[in-house]
Amino acid sequence: MGGVRPVPSRRLTIIRTFLRHGVRALLRTRLGLVGRTRSREIRARELRLAFESLGPAFIKLGQLISIRPDVFAPQYVFEMEHLRDAVSPVSFADIADVIERDFGKPVGDLFADIDPEPIGSASIAQVYRATLRDAYTPVIGDTLPAGAALAVKVIRPNSRTTIMADIAVITPLVRRLSRLGALRRFNLPVLLDEFAQSLASECDLRIEGRTSDRFAHDFADDPYVTTPAIVWPLTGPNVLTMQFVKGWHLDDARQAELAGVDARFLATYGANVFMKQVMVLGRFHADLHQSNLLITPDGRICYLDFGIMGTVADADKEAIAQVLAATVYADARRAIDYSADLGLVVADDMRDSVTARVGELMRRTFSTSPRDVRGFAIGFLSIMNEQRVSVPRGFGLLIKALVVVEGCAQMVYSDIDIVDAAKDFTTELVLKHMLRPARLYARIPRAIDAALTELIR
Amino acid sequence: MLTNADVMKFLAVWELVHETADEGLKAAIARGQDTTPGDMKTDSGSFVDGLAAMVDSKKDAIKLQLAAGTDDALAERDGALSREIADLRFEVAELRGRIESMHAALDALAAIPDRA
Repeated sequence: MGGVRPVPSRRLTIIRTFLRHGVRALLRTRLGLVGRTRSREIRARELRLAFESLGPAFIKLGQLISIRPDVFAPQYVFEMEHLRDAVSPVSFADIADVIERDFGKPVGDLFADIDPEPIGSASIAQVYRATLRDAYTPVIGDTLPAGAALAVKVIRPNSRTTIMADIAVITPLVRRLSRLGALRRFNLPVLLDEFAQSLASECDLRIEGRTSDRFAHDFADDPYVTTPAIVWPLTGPNVLTMQFVKGWHLDDARQAELAGVDARFLATYGANVFMKQVMVLGRFHADLHQSNLLITPDGRICYLDFGIMGTVADADKEAIAQVLAATVYADARRAIDYSADLGLVVADDMRDSVTARVGELMRRTFSTSPRDVRGFAIGFLSIMNEQRVSVPRGFGLLIKALVVVEGCAQMVYSDIDIVDAAKDFTTELVLKHMLRPARLYARIPRAIDAALTELIR
Repeated sequence: MLTNADVMKFLAVWELVHETADEGLKAAIARGQDTTPGDMKTDSGSFVDGLAAMVDSKKDAIKLQLAAGTDDALAERDGALSREIADLRFEVAELRGRIESMHAALDALAAIPDRA
């Protein structure tokens, strides 16, 4: 952030936009008389609209809110999913300049052909179709022949500077706001620092390329998962060149089925892929939405855009499996007990009441067909929010990601129940943990004691 | 002194325990297989039922494997080795990718005087 000077007129625009949407929210909530939940929904919507009108930095800020259910109320978290990151593209001449600066060669020397019309344009980068000049063997997968179709993602010129200038404008405002009692618990300055760091990593496309390769390696044996191969000689800090993958987006799954692909199976399978990422590999795609997933004509799920990843510590994997297993089996007490291992600690005097509320929520949201994971997540986070139980970051991210996985699956078929997939996966994993020699060694003497006590009682 | 009747009784008790456990397991399998949305209880019993159902389906898979004469342990050993080799290959290939990207960055730096 250093070195970027706030522009006074931009500061005014930002303040004016927030004031306008703030007043509108106040009127729509009838000065807060419409009830707490509804009131939050309205405020969240106005905040989202303000972010959209203020451009890239705020759109990214909204995306950060959408993956932090540990900090923000669920209404804000889920509203930010609707943020539209669609901006008008910059000219190809400017983009060509960025490419040439990364490789020191004219664009014509790098690709056999490149279409100047972008196929995608978002706040940080634009994507173009191109053709590979010479055959290339990627880190993972078969050799791409000369003439292979490519997708070239290029950081928009000055996008980083523009975003950082906006952050420089809002930093003093946020510092002032964070002193207000109601906002103090959000620790806004720390969030802003995290935001700046995450943006810096998103603005170096080599990091995304490496993550994509790692993901491809993790799922190399999986016949139903694929990612585009990265073309490293044509990849730099501002340019990511990858294989162009043909396919259908989730909302177009009917077309895939007409072409003979079992989209229903793939939608359910996606839930398994997600759980493997979280509970086995310990790193997961944290920016899943329908434009980052494709169904390919050869019947696979293609994962795109690895800009935001979540990680799970080894020590937490078992606890996550236990919490998830307890949740899918609607065992509220077990879910609350194992959540403590993940840092979600309910005070002893509140444990019974919180467990009863979570149990009631499970009965309500899991008695529908399909079971309502999203409803459960919103309810669970609301209970924790009301009881002032702090939700650890990883826990919040996990709940959010699970809801997204459900949303993606149900975009293909609205009756898909991801709890069924979660049930098999977590049961197997919990059993595997249960049978670990070290665990058996520690527990068997106690089990024998308990059995003998029961027999002689 | 241990009599024939005692041995008989011991074996009968053994069989009774076995039979009761078997019936309990079969009932758990049936409950686990029949669970549908909304049926789940809010106690740890539903997890045990679900586990029993999965163990039963695994048993069927093992039966089929034995009938087909596949050696699971050998396949697992081979799998672990080839996984290690694949991991190593990936590390080397990833390194190559980094070098290729660095090469491109060096070319860009070398071209700066030409551009100026």
